[in-house]
Amino acid sequence: MDRYIIRKDDLNRWVEALARTQEVFAPTRVEKEIFFAPAPAGIDLNLLSGTAALPYLPAKDLVLPHSENLFHFAKKGGDYELTVPEDKKTAVVLGIRSCDTSGIFWLDKFYQENLSDCYYWQRRNNLTLVTMACNQPGKNCFCVCCEGGPFLDSERDEFDIQLVDLQDSYLVECKSSKGKALIEANSKLFAKADPSAVKTREALEDKSRKSFPPEPTSYMSTAIRRITSNAVTPETWTELGEKCFDCGGCAFVCPCCSCFGVGYLNEGEQGCHYRFWDSCDYSGFTREVSGHNPRGEKGERFKRRFFHKLSYQYLKRDGRIGCVGCGRCITACPGEVSMPAVVERLRK
Amino acid sequence: MSNIYLPNLARIVKTQNETYDTRTFEFELIDPKAKQAFKFKPGQFLEISALGVGEAPFGLASNPNRPETFQVTIRAVGAVTRALHAKKPGDLVGIRGPFGNGFPFDEYKGKSIIFVAGGIGLCPLRSLIEPMLDARSAFKDFLILYGARTPADQVYPGRLKEWEKMPEIRFGMTVDVGNADWKGNVGVVTTLFPKLIQTADNTVVFVCGPPIMIRFAIIELSKLGFKPENIVSTLERYMKCGVGKCGHCAIGHKYVCVDGPVFTYKEIGKLPEKS
Repeated sequence: MDRYIIRKDDLNRWVEALARTQEVFAPTRVEKEIFFAPAPAGIDLNLLSGTAALPYLPAKDLVLPHSENLFHFAKKGGDYELTVPEDKKTAVVLGIRSCDTSGIFWLDKFYQENLSDCYYWQRRNNLTLVTMACNQPGKNCFCVCCEGGPFLDSERDEFDIQLVDLQDSYLVECKSSKGKALIEANSKLFAKADPSAVKTREALEDKSRKSFPPEPTSYMSTAIRRITSNAVTPETWTELGEKCFDCGGCAFVCPCCSCFGVGYLNEGEQGCHYRFWDSCDYSGFTREVSGHNPRGEKGERFKRRFFHKLSYQYLKRDGRIGCVGCGRCITACPGEVSMPAVVERLRK
Repeated sequence: MSNIYLPNLARIVKTQNETYDTRTFEFELIDPKAKQAFKFKPGQFLEISALGVGEAPFGLASNPNRPETFQVTIRAVGAVTRALHAKKPGDLVGIRGPFGNGFPFDEYKGKSIIFVAGGIGLCPLRSLIEPMLDARSAFKDFLILYGARTPADQVYPGRLKEWEKMPEIRFGMTVDVGNADWKGNVGVVTTLFPKLIQTADNTVVFVCGPPIMIRFAIIELSKLGFKPENIVSTLERYMKCGVGKCGHCAIGHKYVCVDGPVFTYKEIGKLPEKS
C-alpha cells in the first residue's frame, strides 16, 4: 500500500481533474438531507469529513439501482428481438464512509459467487471508491461492533483509496490499481507521506475507536450466538415482528441488503423485464400464486431478516455479518426495531 | 460474461392436456447452438417467461436422456401460467436454465427405489423416473405410488397406464375421491404404504406433492424405518431469479434455487424454519 499527502486546497483540483473523464459523486446537501450526488462544481469539504452526517442512503444504488432494465423485447414478425442495456459510464465516489465501502465489498462477494451478475459488475468494474475515514463517529454509528469502520484496515479490508483528515491536509492511502490510476494521472497534487503523518493517522483511529457512544454500540456476538443456535423463541420474534411496520425502509437504507423483485412491462409488441429493490419485510415477498405463503407471519419475516444478517451460517458463507454498523436503520425505522434495538432485545 | 437474466427463446413444439387445468408443453430452443448445448439433470428447473407478462419456475418433467426437446407441465393458476396456457404450438417463450442441483442420479444405483407422488408433484419426479427406467437394471426393486384428488386430477394418464402394465416396476395408484368409473384404490397415498412398501433397507424414497401430503408421507415413512437421509424431496419456493441473487427462495442459509430444489430430509431438518 502507498501513502501520500494531498493539501486540502488541492482536493477540489483533483476532483476537477477527475470530473473531466468521469462522473464524481460526493456527499451533497439537498435541502435538509445529504445524498451522494454528482459534484461537477467541486465538493463541499465540510460534508466530507468531521462529524458530518452520513448521506441518507448508502452508495449502493450506484452498483444496484432502485430499478433497472434487464432486457427489452420487441416482436419482429414471428420472432422476438431481445436487447440488453449497456452502462459503460465510469464513476468515482469521493467521501464514501468506511461502512458503506465495506457494504459494497460485501455485495461484490455476493454478486460474484455462484453465477456472476453482469449488470452489477459492468457498473462495479467502472466504479472507484475514495473512502473517508471517520475521525469522529456520529450519534447512530456502531461500525466498530461490525468490522465496518471507523477506519479501513489495509490488511483486513478491501478498498481503493482511503482519505484521513489531518486538518490541513488529507492522508491518502492507496490499496488497489484502480485507486493508483486516479493518483498517477494527477501526481503533481500528491506528495509522499512521511512517518509523522502515519503516526497521526494511528492516533486519530485510536481516538475515534474510543469515542463511540455507549448506545447504540451493540453486543453482536450474543445475538449471533442466539440466532445461530435457533435459541430465540418464536414469541420473541413475534413480539419484535409486531413492532415492524413492513415498510421496507431498513432494507432500502441498508448497505448490505440486495434482494430484488422482477417486474414486467408490456406495451403492445414490445416491453421489458426489469428488477427493483425488494424487501423480505413485505408479506408478498414469499407469497406463491396458490396463496401459500411460507413466511406469512410477521415474526417469521422478522426472524428471516436477522437470520440472514447475523447467523453464523451466513457469516461463514459471506465472510462477514450482513451489517456494517452505519446506523441508518435507526433513522429509518418507525417501529424502533433497528439492528441495535433488536440485538439489545436478543441479549436480554 | 454470460448474462444470467437473459432468456433464450424456445418454440412450443406441441402441447398435451393432462387435466382440466394442467397442460404439458414440449419446447425446443430456436438457436441451433443453444439447442445443441442444452442438457439438464433430473430434478432441475427452468425459468419460463411469457415476455412482458412474467416469468416463473417450472420443474423439468421429461427424460434428460433426450434433451433435444424438453417438457414441463403447467397448471393454470396465475397470470404467468394463464398467459402460457394461451400460447399455441409455434409460439415463442423465454427460457432460462436449467437451474438447481438436480437429483444425484448415480448415488441411487444399486438401491431399491420408491416414488411417492401427489397430484402435479409427479411432474418433476418424472424427470428422474424415466432415466431410471432407461437404466432399470442398475436399481433393485422399483415402486411408484401415485395419489391424486380425483381421477380427473391425474397427470400423464397414458403414461400411468403403461407403468401399471410394466413387469419391471411395481405400481400403486389411488384417488382421494373416486367417481362412478373409478375401480381403483380410494384414499390418500399413504394408505398404499402398508400394502406395497416392503422394506426401508437400502431403499431411497422420493416424495413430491402438496405440503400436507408430504407431511403425512414423512410421518408414515419414518414409522416404517426410513431414515431422513434416504427420504428425498424437492422444495418449492417462489424462485424469481433462479440463480441465488434475488433472495426470494431463501430458507435459512440455503437458496432453494441453487442449493436445491432437491434436498434430503436430513438437510431439511437442519433448516431453522419450516420448509
